Amino acid sequence: MHIMEGFLPVKHAIGWSAVSAPFVAYGLYTINRRIKEQPEQRMLLGVAAAFTFVLSALKLPSVTGSCSHPTGTGLGAILFGPTAMAPIGMVVLLFQAVLLAHGGITTLGANIFSMAIAGPFAAAAIFRIARSIRVPFGFSVFIAASLADLLTYLTTSAQLAFAFPDPSGGFTASFVKFATLFAITQIPLAISEGLLTVVVMNALTRFNSKELKEMKIISIQGAKA
Amino acid sequence: MLTEQSAYSNRWRKVSPIAKGIFTFCGILAAFSAGSPVAALAVAIFISCAAIVGAAVPFFIYLRVAAPPLLFLAASTLSLSFSLDLNAPAIHFAESELPNILHICSRSFACLTSLLFLTLTTPLPDIISLLRRCKTPETLLDLMILCYRTLFVLSESVNNTITAQSARLGYATPGHSIRSLGRLSANLTMQVWQRSTSLQLAVEARCNDGAFRFLEADYPNSRRNILISATSGISMILCELAFS
Repeated sequence: MHIMEGFLPVKHAIGWSAVSAPFVAYGLYTINRRIKEQPEQRMLLGVAAAFTFVLSALKLPSVTGSCSHPTGTGLGAILFGPTAMAPIGMVVLLFQAVLLAHGGITTLGANIFSMAIAGPFAAAAIFRIARSIRVPFGFSVFIAASLADLLTYLTTSAQLAFAFPDPSGGFTASFVKFATLFAITQIPLAISEGLLTVVVMNALTRFNSKELKEMKIISIQGAKA
Repeated sequence: MLTEQSAYSNRWRKVSPIAKGIFTFCGILAAFSAGSPVAALAVAIFISCAAIVGAAVPFFIYLRVAAPPLLFLAASTLSLSFSLDLNAPAIHFAESELPNILHICSRSFACLTSLLFLTLTTPLPDIISLLRRCKTPETLLDLMILCYRTLFVLSESVNNTITAQSARLGYATPGHSIRSLGRLSANLTMQVWQRSTSLQLAVEARCNDGAFRFLEADYPNSRRNILISATSGISMILCELAFS
């Protein structure tokens, strides 16, 4: 769900960059703190950015029969934490703009906010809430990844509706229009990505739970519960 | 990747990235200064010509890279051209908004050509060194360097795994595809952890305890090229302001 280069008006492009900047700055601060405590985290997060980029290039079979690409926001937030995902997301979005011409430089702030801030924070919050009320691990991962995906696309719809309100119905009509249009592809994608994230987490907890605990990125104690 | 192929083989490969960055920035400013769709299209044509004629980026590669965002732009423009009435739920063509929509579409197209100019003429390591000069935080640059250097290793690993899975009918049905992709991603996640541990050992063995530093390339006639790009970029903006 990238907003393409030059699509947003100047004020919106600057505004979303200003909104995203503190999150990226705080993310960098937490990463620096992590690196001081555990220097190996620098390598891990750098390679994680490449992992997110590669993951976003995979073709995912959608429920409607078409193909789409996973965003990786849910998986990234569960594995690496939501604060770290803001700078990682920024790097990935910049690389997508520069290497694939997806998204852009002027819309980087808006895209960071929807894909590297709103999505990961929602995923982490939903996952923690679901685990705290003892929802089974697999279902917690599924709803966290799916709802994060949906929130990402709803945020993009809201950003476009703010920038281009409907001439007759204003923001609400424009939001409904964009959200309905994107729903055709994004709802099946959210379900597919939720299922994919469950398969990934199940495989990780089954075969590599020792490494996951060593990563100390997110507690997966009781993952098999 | 086509962008990388073009970035390393174009005629302006040895032109300073600062010069190309200034020209791109001016192109984006000119696109936003354009007062009409025709003016924005003029910016787009000028910058495309700079990339295709000046930097000798193959036209076929240019089109291949530009096609996906252009399709996306067409879809976005189409979605803007319809208005939704919530009182009596109905969709109608927003005829009165057409000039505004054309302006947004042409501006976005001009900005896209500016971005393509940078991506198709400048390799990513040069863009990272340009960002270093712009005082981007070192941690962010380290993430970019590590991301760029492991990107192709992971991509190759993904391609090999997909080939092996496909040979065993791993993508025969949607259900199999989800399972295969899940296993591929899980395997990749572990590779991330293992590769990062190996990299850490490698840099520690070389006594690295700070930022990654690389020797920067020398660019002949750097000052002259920066002056030319700044002059042409500013002229482009002034022309846009004069005609708007």
